[in-house]
Amino acid sequence: MDIALECRNLCFGYGSKAVLSDLSFEVGKGRFYAILGRNGSGKTTLLHCLNRILVPDSGTILVQGRDIRTLSRNGIAKCIGLVPQEHMDIFPFSVLDVVVMGRTPFLGMTERPGERDRDMAMDALSALNAEYLAHRNFNRISGGERRIALLARALTQATGVMLLDEPTNHLDFNNQYRLLATIKSLCRKKDISIVASMHDPNMAALFADAVIMIRDGKVMAKGPARKVMIRENINALYNTDVTPVSLNGNATLFFPDTVVREVP
Amino acid sequence: MKPRVSHKGILLLLVSGLAAALALAAVSGRVSLSLADILTLTRKLVAGGGDGLAELLPNEQVFLWIRLPRCFMAVLAGAGLAVSGAVYQALFRNPLVSPDILGVSAGCTFGAALGLMLPLSGFGTVHLLSFGCGILAVGLTAGLARIIAVKPLIVLVLAGMVVLSFFNALLMVVKYFADPYNQLPGIIFWVMGSLTRVTWTNTLFMAPFALAGLGVFILLGFRLNILSLGDIQARSLGLNPTLFRRVLIVISSFLVAISVSTCGQIAWIGLIIPHMARTLTGPAHEKMLPVTALLGALFLLLADTAARSLFSSEIPVGIITALTGAPIFAFLLFKNRGTGWI
Repeated sequence: MDIALECRNLCFGYGSKAVLSDLSFEVGKGRFYAILGRNGSGKTTLLHCLNRILVPDSGTILVQGRDIRTLSRNGIAKCIGLVPQEHMDIFPFSVLDVVVMGRTPFLGMTERPGERDRDMAMDALSALNAEYLAHRNFNRISGGERRIALLARALTQATGVMLLDEPTNHLDFNNQYRLLATIKSLCRKKDISIVASMHDPNMAALFADAVIMIRDGKVMAKGPARKVMIRENINALYNTDVTPVSLNGNATLFFPDTVVREVP
Repeated sequence: MKPRVSHKGILLLLVSGLAAALALAAVSGRVSLSLADILTLTRKLVAGGGDGLAELLPNEQVFLWIRLPRCFMAVLAGAGLAVSGAVYQALFRNPLVSPDILGVSAGCTFGAALGLMLPLSGFGTVHLLSFGCGILAVGLTAGLARIIAVKPLIVLVLAGMVVLSFFNALLMVVKYFADPYNQLPGIIFWVMGSLTRVTWTNTLFMAPFALAGLGVFILLGFRLNILSLGDIQARSLGLNPTLFRRVLIVISSFLVAISVSTCGQIAWIGLIIPHMARTLTGPAHEKMLPVTALLGALFLLLADTAARSLFSSEIPVGIITALTGAPIFAFLLFKNRGTGWI
């Protein structure tokens, strides 16, 4: 397996409060990795450390074999894209304006995006079947459409590694599945490595190739989804008791015992 | 979302509007002078060179030494104030800020007033003190907002209010100690905003700085879009927001300082003109900044022309900009309600 992103002994703290300690994992090329953990367990912090938005206290991060510390901010941006959690713009940019911003690391300091950059942005939108959004106001489209637009921006920016911060947050039932299916197919078709923080273990069980579980700032379990997504791990991670439910023998979903017991 | 008039069309319209306004400003005022007179004067100067200057008629002298530099200054200061307002709005990710609201203008005004009152201080000291206090004011506002760190949009405006009141109080101290016969009337008239002090000397001193500042902003227009997304996204797109923000704040505060130290406090331009430009071209700064500059220039030129020719004696231009700016902003608030604008 080719390694796209490697994180070795990563430690990070805000002031004296340690958030992540001694995290190590590898992300294979063209694979979908889910990061699971409770609220406040440091999932977003980890993603921000991976593309050096936050500077780790110690540890090494390698992108396509190169130490991220040897790369410029622009250099990192060319390899790693980020889809942030919730994003509302102050100014009413059009979706195309937002998507074309993904070309920033490839433009000179005083350069502005040209015809070619806009074409690339349109290509990214059409890869996600979202050309119809191009001239809409980014602030006036639905949460799901905004996520698609930001995904298109990340696609315009970097095709090596894509970091997604809770991609399904605030999306309605149907949109969550559709978005994750889109992301998974991108991952497969374009060989993009995805690292997504998620808060629903069932979504991870359905879509992720591999899962990294984080508890108390440490890796609690990691590996292929089928091996890691087991009752004991889920119980330990969320400090609860769950009942596994098999889905046609393909995937196993989990529900809290209390729910399973009390639903008539 | 697609504009009805193309970007080039808007620019062309504004440039011709500015040319027409310059012509209007040239012939308006108490000393009458027609466009034909100006042509005669130009011919005289071109033909006679340096000798032409010696044989000027009184009305030609007024035009050449008072009216003309004043018109150019109105264009420069209007463009500078409007663009610095637009840049502050992008940097602080807040459509409600302007040089006035962030306290920059108040800081610059205090600094310049102090410079005017201090013995032995010349032209450069006034500018330098004005610039220093302006930077200090915006630093205090941003720092205060950062320490409070909740509800960033509103807190920044409130922090600006705190800093603004503080510098206004300091300005009152300066006024209190100013010589009531020689210094006070000048300071008061100038605080209200007026272009009466403008000469070729300070216009030519200011022009290169103002044009350089405007040029830098227009060149960096696209980067401002990225900065307006906030620090996390700017970093993830390969930009160093801290460095950029500092450099841009220094340049825009400098633009405000050079305008305030020659023309006094001319309110509202930095707040409403960027909004008008955004309505015309959309929020992308690479398109919106040139339009902002032209609109600001046009607005201040027309306001100054009105200030010196509407009544028999001249009124401060700051009164005109506030009287027109406040209702326009109220209208914009009403019109954009519920669009996520604030």
